[in-house]
Amino acid sequence: MPAITYLEAISDGLREEMRDDDSVFCLGEDIGAFGGAFKVTDGFYEEFGSDRVWDTPLAENAIVGTAVGAAIEGWRPVCEMQFADFIACGFDQLVNVAAKMNYRQGVSVPMVVRLPSGGGFSGGPYHSQNPEAWFMQAPGLKVVAPATAEDAKGLLASAIRDPNPVIYLEHKHLYRRIKGDVRAGRYETPLGELRVARAGTDLTVVAYGAMVHTALEATEDLDGASVEVLDLRTLCPMDTDGILKSVRKTSKVVVLHEATRSCGVGAEVCALIGEEAFEDLDGPIVRVTAPDVPIPFSPPLERAVLPQVDGVKEACRELLAY
Amino acid sequence: MATSTAKPAALDPQRSGAEGTALTASDRGELLRYMLLMRSTEERALSLYRQGKIPGSFYDGRGQEAVSVGSAFALAPQDRTCILHRDLGAHLLRGVAPGLVLAQMMGRAGGPTGGRDGNMHFGVAELGNVGMVSMLPDMMLVACGLALSFQMRSEPRVAMTWFGDGSTANGQWHEAMNLAGVRRLPIVFVLENNQFAYSTPNEREFAVDPVERAAVYGFPGVRVDGNDVEAVFEAANAACDRARAGGGPTLIEAVTMRMHGHGAHDDMNYVPPEMIEEWSKKDPIDAYSARAEREGVDVQALKAEIKELIDRETDWALDQPMPDPATATERVFATEDPKLGDGKAPWSRWANQTDREP
Amino acid sequence: MSSSPTEQTGSLGESQELTEVVMPQMGVSVAEGTITAWRKQVGDWVERDEPILDISTDKVETEVPSPAAGRVAELIVAEGETVEVGTLLATLDTGAKPGEAHAAEANGDGSQAAEPKVPTAAATESAAPAQPTGSKAPRGTNSGNAAPVSPVVRRIADEHSVDLGAVPGTGRRGRVTKKDLLIFIESGEGTEGAQPPTSAGSSSTPAPSPGSTGASAPRALHIESPYVEEPPLTSADAAKLPGGGEMSVMRKRIAEHMVRSVQTAAHCTTVTEADMAAVERARKGGPKKLSYLAFVARATVGALRENPQLNATIEGDRITPHEEVHLGIAVSLGDAGLVVPVIRNAHELSHEGIAARIADVAERARSKRLEPGETQGGTFTITNPGPFGTLISTPIINQPQVGILDLEAVAKRPVVVTDADGNDSIAIRPMSYLCLSWDHRAIDGVRAAQFLAALRAGLEGWRG
Repeated sequence: MPAITYLEAISDGLREEMRDDDSVFCLGEDIGAFGGAFKVTDGFYEEFGSDRVWDTPLAENAIVGTAVGAAIEGWRPVCEMQFADFIACGFDQLVNVAAKMNYRQGVSVPMVVRLPSGGGFSGGPYHSQNPEAWFMQAPGLKVVAPATAEDAKGLLASAIRDPNPVIYLEHKHLYRRIKGDVRAGRYETPLGELRVARAGTDLTVVAYGAMVHTALEATEDLDGASVEVLDLRTLCPMDTDGILKSVRKTSKVVVLHEATRSCGVGAEVCALIGEEAFEDLDGPIVRVTAPDVPIPFSPPLERAVLPQVDGVKEACRELLAY
Repeated sequence: MATSTAKPAALDPQRSGAEGTALTASDRGELLRYMLLMRSTEERALSLYRQGKIPGSFYDGRGQEAVSVGSAFALAPQDRTCILHRDLGAHLLRGVAPGLVLAQMMGRAGGPTGGRDGNMHFGVAELGNVGMVSMLPDMMLVACGLALSFQMRSEPRVAMTWFGDGSTANGQWHEAMNLAGVRRLPIVFVLENNQFAYSTPNEREFAVDPVERAAVYGFPGVRVDGNDVEAVFEAANAACDRARAGGGPTLIEAVTMRMHGHGAHDDMNYVPPEMIEEWSKKDPIDAYSARAEREGVDVQALKAEIKELIDRETDWALDQPMPDPATATERVFATEDPKLGDGKAPWSRWANQTDREP
Repeated sequence: MSSSPTEQTGSLGESQELTEVVMPQMGVSVAEGTITAWRKQVGDWVERDEPILDISTDKVETEVPSPAAGRVAELIVAEGETVEVGTLLATLDTGAKPGEAHAAEANGDGSQAAEPKVPTAAATESAAPAQPTGSKAPRGTNSGNAAPVSPVVRRIADEHSVDLGAVPGTGRRGRVTKKDLLIFIESGEGTEGAQPPTSAGSSSTPAPSPGSTGASAPRALHIESPYVEEPPLTSADAAKLPGGGEMSVMRKRIAEHMVRSVQTAAHCTTVTEADMAAVERARKGGPKKLSYLAFVARATVGALRENPQLNATIEGDRITPHEEVHLGIAVSLGDAGLVVPVIRNAHELSHEGIAARIADVAERARSKRLEPGETQGGTFTITNPGPFGTLISTPIINQPQVGILDLEAVAKRPVVVTDADGNDSIAIRPMSYLCLSWDHRAIDGVRAAQFLAALRAGLEGWRG
């Protein structure tokens, strides 16, 4: 089958799930007749009707909170935040109601919140964030971040079938830039398993989302070194075994993410490696991330902040030489 | 759609309405029973709290019993609820045993949350209730979700939720009202205005009585005497029937008074003593006991029966073990889809329900 | 998977017994498989049944157990390659003994297979000098040089008793890198014992226990709360007698499920007996002796495909027979309880494949490494109490399934056999009672009997 874009894969996955199970429905702003800000739900309104493709008022807590109630009563809502950044306006319902419901009350909440995340196109501070670490601090939420078209579809299906609230980070910069062969029909990519994007022996780059492609490009031809690139795919629950297995093999690790530095996913991965694989390390664990600043708007500023291929190359070279 | 304090026309028992929408003598006995049960359970709980058996904070709804009992009485078994911390009557009416409530408060493993959440943060899913969170009025939006699911399946079912005067200041209150109005959700919002949000009186909470806002969101707002259980019931029933018939939401403001502090730790010295004096003369249970007696209910026998029940339930609750610490990290994630069950519905209207038509 | 020991002459002149490792057939319709990972490298020791490689087919991903104990002599097909079923993948020298020297030492690949403990006094095959030769100028010594010794270098050096001063370092500041050290070891200099580098992972520091904030004494929970924590009630005996005390969460869950099942389903149990002689033959004839359970499971799958009414789930008034067989296998966790992990798509597996999956889920169930969701979605369950000689049981159905099969002991019994001429005689046969509990809401006795007849036929007529 022909390769499709990451965006098309998300649409495809969502459509398959909605066709397969009547209890799956979408809610969010402008997703109906308009087809969604990024056209993920283009054509859905015509196929599934306004009840299952609901144009909500501009009220993120309402979107998330209503989804909680509907999920408890037998539906599988897929919420769309127009930009990941706006989850902050629905944060209370997400971390206080959805995340804790099963632990406290034994009532599961099968829902998905899709977050178009990431920068690289002058979106500025409110349209470029990668907020995944916030959710990893809220026990009860699962978090996935596909990097490929194939995984975008499969992880979305798994997220929808999961009885827990799942945050699905779709990187906006990958929407039309990445294409891949995607299996037709329904398939589920399991949560909690990383993918070895490229096997190698000298150094491991741990990445997810758009940065997987940056890592692959940066280490494609790096002074003959054999660099393994891991695509985490699921951030919570993280595939810790997979990470440690790679560390034991290469003994050198660069952790890469587009999100800002402090207390990010990278901090968690570094702590894990330090705790569990100390005696397998042949060098310090290195993080390549955005610094702790809001993402700026003007292109030279944004480029200086978001990790670039050259920066990743540099970090890998340094560590290889250690 | 102006606000109204008159008795909703739809429920005048003199008029012909749907069969069995009136209250029988037995129904009146039930209304009193559940108010008494709420009062007794909370008194026992307060006693346990003072004996050092209840960790954390203790909250009750003394003086507000008519609000939760009256409104929940209108619900059919297949309706769903998000009950708040001063609405114990609704839990009891829907079938939760008092012992379970006491075990919950004492953090026992045998309680509905197994010790994972405290005081009134519980909901027995098998009886169709979703347990509350501390942030208010978050449950209004969850209730909107329950109502939305009924609407999407075209079922004549209602979601009912309770919240206080303070929560009407919150953004989520408005999001819920707006959403319910724009979708004409089958939902009943019960605003219990008990005069104080902790120490904040109404005049510092809002400029205009919130019941007036309903019109602006597109549906009726009804103010009732929150200490008259039958008035509350009638307003709730009219609202439920409206919702079931596709008429959309209703905001019911039940005006009452919080007779104890915000919590047991609060001596409520900010409440003018004359206010307490005035409202204690309007105690909902005292008022209704007289009415029920006229209808032939043996109030004394009822009270004795309840006392015995509470004693038995307390013994049971005290017997429940504390949770096993090794289980503290379990159940963060679910492995199964949720399943809510139906609640009890003691109103005689639902006694011979074979189908779901109102 | 077949293995054929052959005598060969190894490169060192001594004779080797070689056993073949071939691509197994994981299911009737599967024609090829892909090697996703070798768990052992050339020269590594592997125990019998120890996982030697991971494969992936269209239907299933699984680990492949080694057919024999021995040293990996040759890896013929590389990771990532896809080959037909039956293709030779590797050879094992089953004449070797653990701890002996061998031609090629491989780097550890990070697999977590446990290697047998090798005594340090094992003989070296060549007289390697214990001390570095004097001509090499020591580099990267710790004395006087600021280059640090990394944790992995320290560990490997310790394991091989290597003096790091003797190792040439190519890292920054003359640091000895992991690569430098491994090259050094491989070249044979400075090694004492002929131990292969540990391929097992680093000794992991145990994860801190949850809630390690250190709060152990009861403390006031809320400033104004009069709560007083009571000392735990203990029974003097409860600590001594097993199975007593407050029910654990697992026990409660099992209790709740069992009671609910009995209250929900209309339980009936029907029993048949099967002559297991054909299965016995197959067990003995195979490369490794698989459990009866694997054979019964495979035959059960066949019987379920013929009787999908038993491979069904009930929800309220709705019965849903399934095409796929997701087989739950009850795994005992001792007195603590039991868990029923599900082998998904069991209908795609051969009995060997099922055996491998049973071993895997049982091991992971006991070490609490089952994935969430792995106990969900079963369409039928098999339970087997173990080697205690019990004969008949009436198991409780695993909701929301329709049937559960209990496999009891295979015991030699005198039975009547009829020869081709119709003459009866008494023979001693290995017989087994197969006990099926079924839900009379969904099916009736005839269907239950038909299923058991199909199962019995599958077992008694086992071939291959």
